Amino acid sequence: MKKLNSTVCKVLVCAALVATGGLCLGLPPAFSSQEDITHVRSEALKPHTRPAALFRHDEHNEKAGIDDCATCHHGKDKDGKRDMADMTAGTDCVECHAVSPVKGQTALRRAFHLQCMGCHQERKQGPLHCTGCHTNG
Amino acid sequence: MQTFYTIAVGPLAWFAWAVFLVGSAWRIFSMASLAKNKEMAAVAYFDTAYGMRSIARWMTPFATLGWQKNPVLTFATFAFHISFILLALFAQGHAILWEYAFGMRVWALPPQVASALTIIATLSCAYFLVRRLSNSTVRFVSTPGDWLALGLATLPFITALLVRQSVGDPLLMTLLHVLSGEAVLVAIPFTRLSHALFVPFTRAYMGSEFGAVRHCPDW
Amino acid sequence: MGIAERKIEDANLLKAVAALTPDKIQQVVRSVTKGEAGARLAVYHETCMRCGMCAEACHFSLSHKGDPTYTPVGKMEQTMWRLLRTDGRVTPDEIYNMAQIAFTECNMCKRCVHFCPVGIDTGYIISLVRRICHLLGVVPMYILDTAHSHSATMNQMWVKEDEWIDSLMWQEDEARDEFPKLRIPLDKEGSDVLYSVIAPEPKFRTQLIYQAAAIMNQAGIDWTMPAGPGWDNSDMCMMTGNLEMMGRLKRAHYEMAQRLRVKRIVMGECGHAFRSVYDTGNRWLGFKDWPVPIVHSVEFFWELLTTGKIKIPQKFQKPVTIHDPCNITRGYGLMEKLREVVHMLCENVVEMTPNREHTICCCAGGGVINCGPPFKGTRVAGNKVKADVLAATGVEYVIAPCHNCHGGLEDIISHYKLGMHTKFIGDLIFELMEKPGAE
Repeated sequence: MKKLNSTVCKVLVCAALVATGGLCLGLPPAFSSQEDITHVRSEALKPHTRPAALFRHDEHNEKAGIDDCATCHHGKDKDGKRDMADMTAGTDCVECHAVSPVKGQTALRRAFHLQCMGCHQERKQGPLHCTGCHTNG
Repeated sequence: MQTFYTIAVGPLAWFAWAVFLVGSAWRIFSMASLAKNKEMAAVAYFDTAYGMRSIARWMTPFATLGWQKNPVLTFATFAFHISFILLALFAQGHAILWEYAFGMRVWALPPQVASALTIIATLSCAYFLVRRLSNSTVRFVSTPGDWLALGLATLPFITALLVRQSVGDPLLMTLLHVLSGEAVLVAIPFTRLSHALFVPFTRAYMGSEFGAVRHCPDW
Repeated sequence: MGIAERKIEDANLLKAVAALTPDKIQQVVRSVTKGEAGARLAVYHETCMRCGMCAEACHFSLSHKGDPTYTPVGKMEQTMWRLLRTDGRVTPDEIYNMAQIAFTECNMCKRCVHFCPVGIDTGYIISLVRRICHLLGVVPMYILDTAHSHSATMNQMWVKEDEWIDSLMWQEDEARDEFPKLRIPLDKEGSDVLYSVIAPEPKFRTQLIYQAAAIMNQAGIDWTMPAGPGWDNSDMCMMTGNLEMMGRLKRAHYEMAQRLRVKRIVMGECGHAFRSVYDTGNRWLGFKDWPVPIVHSVEFFWELLTTGKIKIPQKFQKPVTIHDPCNITRGYGLMEKLREVVHMLCENVVEMTPNREHTICCCAGGGVINCGPPFKGTRVAGNKVKADVLAATGVEYVIAPCHNCHGGLEDIISHYKLGMHTKFIGDLIFELMEKPGAE
């Protein structure tokens, strides 16, 4: 159960951690630190047709009791399958999940939805409907 | 409500699609065999080219005498059906669901367009409602089934509007939207909404009789 | 509003419903709705969206503006849709009302087809209602009498075989005064053309046979007329729902033509007979098409005029308008040929609006005029719209190549005091053609 939960939440954290990742890679930082993250990082999906998914990184993880970064920031094994042991915080999600994916990849938008909604569904907590996350509030 | 929503977008959705697909196939198949068993004297004249000609003609706004003589209804009918089909297939939320569930990448309408279409469809339904009440012919021949069909067809648009305009509890509204959409799916084979299944055949048959036997336009 | 308030007394309708019971009615209704009828009835009933667009189509509803009970969908609602909803559990009185609607307030002209997006065939639905009425014996007296005549004599007008032959010989005799070499050949095997008429021609409009004989004679056509049963191509049984007799009549007609080994059947200026021979009788008999080619006289006249077999030295000068009979325009697409023929005969043609396939019905066809005097008022009041259409042309002559149309149009012309006259194409050709064989 725990493993599954960590699986589905890994990518969420991924979005938050790209700021750090960006710093390490010498890219211009999107956020100065993870506590400043307020939305899922979805620049790759611009132009947005909906408000970016509301996601206050630290607040969310505290409330959800997520300590392990790999819960959302998962990696992949040598077959290209999802690997929950491989922590990838610091890598931008879009590096593995292209917006228009090649075969075997999960598209970025789908990966986000699977990650967030999958976990919410699993835990029976957190929004599942569109405006639950994609809100201007 | 969260649980109910999960059921609505999960098992209930599968159920609705199954009823819609199996029910529709069964209705069309059983009607076709009934026609074959009893009405070969009509079926024998079925002609694909004339059938398609009639369908194309009647799918063109104001291209037939009936459309011309009922201009407002024609406008509302086309506006409603075009909006219905575009939104059902290409509303962004629907595209996301296809992608989420099956990884299918579906083109989606720009949100402003989708909103406009939703409003157009709702206004068309309002016109259908007013007309059904105020036009003496339509009122005279309306049955509970007609009201049911109109209500079913209207609900998804109203609930979609409520979600978009953030009226009421968003989860509840989204749930109602999902449920009303599923209700339409389930109802298509078994209510007056079945015209979605049968009209291509009735239209093509009339086109065949008029084209192949009567040598006369059916519009 | 509604059929109950406009009930018209008809001797046979009264007599027949008096003998009905709800059980008998239900049994008969079911035998049609669940027995004879099939997918068309089921689909039409389900997909008619009750949009009311057909209200703009029907001459009855256009003439009774705002009364939904005269609209096509209103008439289906009061008859077949009600029978299906109640599974046939209706009272004898309701059957009376349904018969009155089906026999006298719908001409099955199918103009509503041009208005229905879904493609509902109101004419077919009404014909099924008539079928039920026929099986219940609830048929207006006058038209029932013609159907009985068909059953007993194979013609519509109780014409006995010797009377038929006698009428032809009489017309031949008369015509020979004008055309000494004219013959009306009877049962001449292998002729190019078998000329067939409806029984009202020998009965009331014998001059039409005279004219046809003169045209055939002057055009030099190798033709014949049938001497025996099957000569009458009319079909009131198709109208009453007596489909078994419709089949027998058409079989007799085709077989007569086949026995005479004629190349084709040319029929007079009749609408319903054409429908019966061309569209409905053959289907009942299981023929997809026709054992012998069927040619309507409008087509035949078009041939005679375009090939120069008949010459028109001087066209008709007064303005005329053209009435398109439903059975040969909406039923057979003769809109263009009819116009070409009329333009070859007349100098000054004023089109009425609407026209061609969108023609408004004469309100006599579909057996309605055959329901007789009790229902004449229904026809005349129900076709005020056509009177307005005719009046708007401002002409004196209406050309209508159909007997029933003549009857219907003459009635509205006299009732609404339009001061117009109806003409057959045969009338005009006979009047205008070169007659080299005449003395």
